[in-house]
Amino acid sequence: MIEVEQLRKEYGSLTAVHDVTFTARPGEIFGLLGPNGAGKTTTIGCISTLLAPSAGHIRVMGHDVVKDGIEARRSMGVVPQEIALYEDLSAEENLSYWGGAQGLRGAELRERIRTVLDLTGLLDRAKEPIKRFSGGMKRRLNFACGIVHRPKVLLLDEPTVGVDPQSRVRLLELVRDQARSGACVLYTTHYMEEAESLCDRLAIVDHGRIIAQGTLAELRALLGERDILRLTGTFEPEHVRSALESVEGVEIIHADETLLALSMSDASHRLPMIFAALNGSELRGTTLTQPSLESLFIKLTGSDLRE
Amino acid sequence: MRFVWITALKDLRRLRREPVAVLTWLAIPSFISIILTLVFGPGGAQPHGTLLIADQDRSIGATMLTNAFGQGALGKMLTVEHVSESEGRRRMDRGEASALIVIPSGFTASFVTSQPVNIDLVRNPAQRVLPDIIEDSLGIMLARASSYRTASQPPPIQLDADIIPDKTEQPDGFAAIILPGALFMGIFFIAGALASDVWRERSSGALRRIATTPARFGAFVAGKLLASALLFGAIGGAALVVAHELMHLRVASFPAAIGWIAASGSCLYLMIMLIQSAASSERVSTFTTNLVTLPLVMLGGGFVPFEWMPRTLARIGEWTPNGWCVMQLRAALSGSLQPVTFASIAVILVAILFIDVRAIRRTAC
Repeated sequence: MIEVEQLRKEYGSLTAVHDVTFTARPGEIFGLLGPNGAGKTTTIGCISTLLAPSAGHIRVMGHDVVKDGIEARRSMGVVPQEIALYEDLSAEENLSYWGGAQGLRGAELRERIRTVLDLTGLLDRAKEPIKRFSGGMKRRLNFACGIVHRPKVLLLDEPTVGVDPQSRVRLLELVRDQARSGACVLYTTHYMEEAESLCDRLAIVDHGRIIAQGTLAELRALLGERDILRLTGTFEPEHVRSALESVEGVEIIHADETLLALSMSDASHRLPMIFAALNGSELRGTTLTQPSLESLFIKLTGSDLRE
Repeated sequence: MRFVWITALKDLRRLRREPVAVLTWLAIPSFISIILTLVFGPGGAQPHGTLLIADQDRSIGATMLTNAFGQGALGKMLTVEHVSESEGRRRMDRGEASALIVIPSGFTASFVTSQPVNIDLVRNPAQRVLPDIIEDSLGIMLARASSYRTASQPPPIQLDADIIPDKTEQPDGFAAIILPGALFMGIFFIAGALASDVWRERSSGALRRIATTPARFGAFVAGKLLASALLFGAIGGAALVVAHELMHLRVASFPAAIGWIAASGSCLYLMIMLIQSAASSERVSTFTTNLVTLPLVMLGGGFVPFEWMPRTLARIGEWTPNGWCVMQLRAALSGSLQPVTFASIAVILVAILFIDVRAIRRTAC
């Protein structure tokens, strides 16, 4: 279990994380979804005891990470964004080292190394220096090093960045296996498809704040069954607002000189009416997004998740 | 404690897989040693040293005698310096010259009036060839001067040759001059290469990962230190055995000498690691390390032994970290390394280790 209460992390005058609160339970995959720089890695850094929180409390399996860091770390497995491995050692040697760092030894360590190598499909390459591995294989080994000691809490910081589609599918299945076996998984990503397919509950993070959290169904309910239409071009915001008042069921999420974001149901059928209302504005691009985390993010922040 | 060992084992395995870096750094001092041996070694160029003369007579006879050492073949081997007797004895105590000749007041007058007179010759026990040459030459000069007297008269001039107590107990031989400096040059270079591994571990994220495990960060750095100590001990041991067998290097105690190389080499490693962890980037760390290492290696008897350096530079060099290590290795080779020196290096190691752990942890997070 991970309990985060009013977490705040400041770097001088910059506040990277603003009063973040959430709880991730055993057997659950809890996602932190947000664009790069949203504060996801800082949040994981505080939970994993790498960073000292400026304010708030974090407990991992009941252990306060500030006061009882070593005990908190004992129950934790971390899969960092970087491939934190020794390239000149073999997969087996890497696992042996990281398992040893977690306190495993002897027959138990050997058994766990074999199990996770098998799990990640690297058993036949166990003795090979990993500098010969593909990027996807290294990612899988990076993951294996995080779970070699059977952690009760697993922190995954964008573990699929730069991974080929096949390895990604395999990695996501491994993450699900961990949750099924009872681990509490905290998963950060900026890939909304990943978050949608993987996470039981989610917190959407932007500029260091949680702007929405809940199950996927709860988050979708926030959006309703409405599509998001994003138009780029040259607009006069006041003129646009008055022109769109006449189109029924259209909500203006964002309007400035270059971007117009609208929320509506059945947007594809309303497009002719909208274009007619915007007659006189110079339109350069149109993007229609059906209800998803992406559209929720746009609705909540006015900007694209990948911007 | 177990994590210290597995970290050391991990680093040694990695070194075994990539031995080229270590061998390259060892090749430089080996190459320089070979060149020095070929150019200046036994059977090569003639030795060169300093002769101190305390001329208390300042007469024509004394001047003729002392001038003889600055001429011809002797002049090529010896730099003659005039000093007071007290200064000369002080410098001999510090092993700064091959010999001291004290010409007493009234030397010429005694010679002319056939009165007996003593000339003191103080020899540097750490050297063999030059003090022998000086003593023999002085003996010949005095015998020749005496031959002008009639055969019935007793020799008017008596030469008293003393060997001062050997305080530094520097080992004899060419290998003893060359090897310690060359060995520590190699160790200094390897220490720099090993220390830079912290930057690789930092950029790969391994340091951050360590910080998220229950293992102590201090144990991690101590493991790296243990690996470096084992490596330096192995290199030192191999170098001493080779020099002992092939160059007849006198080694009073192999364990003491190897222990010293391992301990002091590790200290240099931690020192460079500290410099590197304070840098803002890997490039800056490499630049800073070179900026510190190269002058220290030059001054610290790496490229040129202290005996062949100008005295002032040699004295500065002996107090550089690596220069001090070289001097103490010489003491270990001659069997005069003091337990207190070992205790000092242990204290220094613990102190730098403590600072390093804090610095590297800060770097990791």
